[in-house]
Amino acid sequence: MIIDVHAHWGPWFFTMDVARANLATMDRYGIDLAIVSATEAVIYDAPAGNRALAAALEGQDRLYGYVTVNPRRLEEAERDLREYLPTGRFVGVKIHTDYTGSPVTSPQMREALELVASFGRPALVHTWGRTVLDLAETCLAVPGLRAIAGHMGADGHRHAIEAARACDRLYLEPCWSHAPAGRFAEVAAAVDDRRLLFGTDATLIDPASAFGAVAAAGLTGETAERVAWRNAAELFDLDLTTT
Amino acid sequence: MSAFDAGALTGDLTVTLDADVLVGAYPDRDGPPGTPESVLGVLGAHRVRAGAVASLRAALFDMVSGNDEVLALSRASDAVVPIGAVDLRDPLGSAAELERLAAAGVRGVRLFPDEQGAEADFPSVRHVARRAAALGLTVLTGGDVRRFWRPFTGLGGSVVFLDTHFYHLGDFLVAAADEPGFHTSTRLLNSPDAVETAAARIGAERLLFGSRTPHAETVVPLLRLATSGLEPAEIEAVAGGNARRLLT
Repeated sequence: MIIDVHAHWGPWFFTMDVARANLATMDRYGIDLAIVSATEAVIYDAPAGNRALAAALEGQDRLYGYVTVNPRRLEEAERDLREYLPTGRFVGVKIHTDYTGSPVTSPQMREALELVASFGRPALVHTWGRTVLDLAETCLAVPGLRAIAGHMGADGHRHAIEAARACDRLYLEPCWSHAPAGRFAEVAAAVDDRRLLFGTDATLIDPASAFGAVAAAGLTGETAERVAWRNAAELFDLDLTTT
Repeated sequence: MSAFDAGALTGDLTVTLDADVLVGAYPDRDGPPGTPESVLGVLGAHRVRAGAVASLRAALFDMVSGNDEVLALSRASDAVVPIGAVDLRDPLGSAAELERLAAAGVRGVRLFPDEQGAEADFPSVRHVARRAAALGLTVLTGGDVRRFWRPFTGLGGSVVFLDTHFYHLGDFLVAAADEPGFHTSTRLLNSPDAVETAAARIGAERLLFGSRTPHAETVVPLLRLATSGLEPAEIEAVAGGNARRLLT
């Protein structure tokens, strides 16, 4: 069993044609479930993307949704959270810092994360470099917030270690198009394995990158199981009895 | 068995020549040490039978002694195909080193623009590109393909872009359409369809498996190639046939 906690649904603006590639991509790597955000929601129009994703998730049993929040449009965000989270098909919240011009340290991001915490669902937040430390700081400051550091800081994975040690409500997932040798192994050796998740960034990035990075770390036993699916199932409160 | 069983996915895929392998260490990084023994060990553990190996000593400090190190390795092991390195901070010295390498039978030369602080429009890059093409050397170059395509245009030489990211695949493909000598490593073509798109547009014979062992996870491009939609003959070409044609 593998659960991908960082995936997307919809088209990308690059030279690629992957809008309908979710399940085939998952199947290539034995990924059973993925939690996806709509690319339209992340990149351009959150309500329109969330609405399209809600329709796409109907009748779908291998994809769960993130409600994407634009921190600059919190009224829209609250409306979407109230509409989609109770459906059970949306299990968390996605916030991208760059596309919305909202650094982790910005006032609107703080407000957005307080809103997410009030709904009791985890937030997947894009992190890069030292910004993962900012996310840990915000996580500590917002009661009840559970945050996933998307990309675990990418080239800032050592900051991610420090961040995860600072806040026990911060989780890490490794996806990145680059795969420096030993990156995930170093994180896995230094961070509580209950806070490690598996994410790929598919269908932007092929799962080869994250799968290979985790495989190279040589995890075994309970830790491997926690990374593969158990932590995700607990964090998102997923009912796996039907999968 | 962990859910992350890469071997089950890569199966019996064997790489006959990896186009992107380094020996030596980066002094500004913690690791890996990059000793020849450790590098060849990593390749062997991943069913990579040979590497096109360049020297970081040559790239970062001294061309001649670094390249001699790689030439010696190639004489000692069939798993090493020697790749010369030149220094874009010294175009005159680089031109002389290209002559020496060609005379020694080396078929490929590698450029390190990021490590050497060289930009695509520096005169040294164009000078080295011209000299390499004139000598019939295949150039393997790092750097952003959206910029580094330009100094190699119109020379009729063979070039392998080692850092082509799938974000920039469209730029590479339109440049390569006009330059039949342009090739790319698959290392960062790791979107769900970049390898397949490139093969469909310009042909699998212009794709080379590259891993950047030991500085990147060797298994990642292996997984991408093994799970690709390419035909078996195309996979075999990407996994080393193309590199052997250009570099041996």
